[in-house]
This record gives sequence, C-alpha cells and structure tokens, in this order.
Amino acid sequence: MKKIMHILFLSCLKATELIEKKLYYKLSFREKMQLKMHKMMCDACTNYEDQSIILDHAMQKGANPENIVIDLEAFKKNILKKMEDTK
Amino acid sequence: MTKEKHDLAGWVEEYAGELYSWATYKVSDDELAKDLVQDTFLAAAEKVDDFKGNSSPKTWLFSILNYKIIDVYRKKVNKTVSYEPSGFSDFFDEEGSWHLEKRPKDWHDQDDNFLDDSDFQLVLKACLDALPEKWGVCVRLKYLTKKNGDEICQEVGVSPTNFWQIIHRAKLQLRDCVEKNWFQN
Repeated sequence: MKKIMHILFLSCLKATELIEKKLYYKLSFREKMQLKMHKMMCDACTNYEDQSIILDHAMQKGANPENIVIDLEAFKKNILKKMEDTK
Repeated sequence: MTKEKHDLAGWVEEYAGELYSWATYKVSDDELAKDLVQDTFLAAAEKVDDFKGNSSPKTWLFSILNYKIIDVYRKKVNKTVSYEPSGFSDFFDEEGSWHLEKRPKDWHDQDDNFLDDSDFQLVLKACLDALPEKWGVCVRLKYLTKKNGDEICQEVGVSPTNFWQIIHRAKLQLRDCVEKNWFQN
C-alpha cells in the first residue's frame, strides 16, 4: 500500500527534493500535482517547505555589519599604506 | 594628487568595514576576509580609471569583492563537487519516509521577527559552517550572487541535476541543525 502511495504521491525524500528543485527550476505539471497531493497528506513535508523558505530569507539577511570585531581603523590604515606602496 | 587618489582613500574610510563584514560572512575566515578586502582596494586602485561612475562606488567595490570571493569558492570546489546519495538515511528510512525523530516540527513562527535576532543569525551561521564544505559552497554561492541555478552550476562546474540535489542535502542538514539549536532551546 505504502509503495503504491509513494509511486502516486511521492515519498517524503522525493517530495523534499522537489521542494528544493522548485526554488530554482520550473516543475513539470505532473511534479506539481504530485507535490501538491503529497503535502495535503503530509504535515512534515508541509513544515519542511515553509521552513526551507524561511531559511532562504534568513540567509539573505545574513551579512551583519554590526558583528565587526577587528580594529577597523588599523585595518583601514593598513589598506591605505598598501595602496601607497604599490603605486 | 589626482582626484582618483583622494576618492579611493575616502572609499576605504567609508566602505572597508562593510566590505569586511560581508567578506567574513561569506568565507567564514577573518584573515582571509581581510586579505580579500585589501585585494579589492588594490584592484580598485589599479582599475579606477575604468570606473565610469555608472554605478555607485559602493556597488562597484562590492562587485570586485564578490568576484574575488567567487574565486575563493571556485578554488575550494576545484571541480570536485559531487553528489553522494549516501547520508539520506540520516533523515529517511529505506522507503523514503521521514524517521520519526527527524520529521520537521511546527516552528510556531507566526512572524519572521526572529530572522533579525542576532542570536538566531549566529545559530544559522554555525549551522552553515557545520555543512560539509562543498555543500556549503553551493549554498553560499546562491545567496552571494543571486544568480539562478544554472549559472551557479556553471560557476562551480556541477550539472544542474546535481545542483539542487546538493542544495537538498544541505538544506536537510541545515534545517535540522537550526531546529535543534534554536527552536528547541
């Protein structure tokens, strides 16, 4: 029974793969329908898709200018000096 | 004496910090990030005559830096990116169903406020750093370049089929790591 379900509506492994593929490529009509049906029956994969998108947003926000721990002034001076030297 | 020289010094003053934090985030290596930013300004000094002012200096500097970061990635990957089907067993049984304890749980996040939480970003960064290098490279490249899948594939020399499968693997691990370290604490 489970095997038939997987052929018709995908396994969770395959469903999560399509969820990722969807972020980069257009799914075929068949893939779209299978994924839709799968998610209707599977909370875990529905959570996965929401969270995958959240993680995408989080990574886009990533670079955080407040986390600078180096001595910025010394760093700048150093760069300026190097630029002088290579002139 | 020239106007360019004056501008460059000003750009160092104004943008070095931002360029540095961006580079650190992307390569996860402070010393390497410093070198990249320094190289960026040296390259900028060389090419400043080519800078026509079509874009802002900041955009121009960032594009030079990004190019150098991609170069670092390319060397790291060194055409050895490959897709290893093993390891899915951490998440799925042999029929492809979630292991019970690995099923994505409800995060109960009605809003995305936690995305701006610096502690959350630290967890995310730690989880990114914990990815095997070649997966991490693919994931970072995506957010660095904002390119589409096919272009990134060309960049690192993987086939498009491999690309989302690598991302799939990386995301499974990343999601699991974030859930463990942020949502269950």
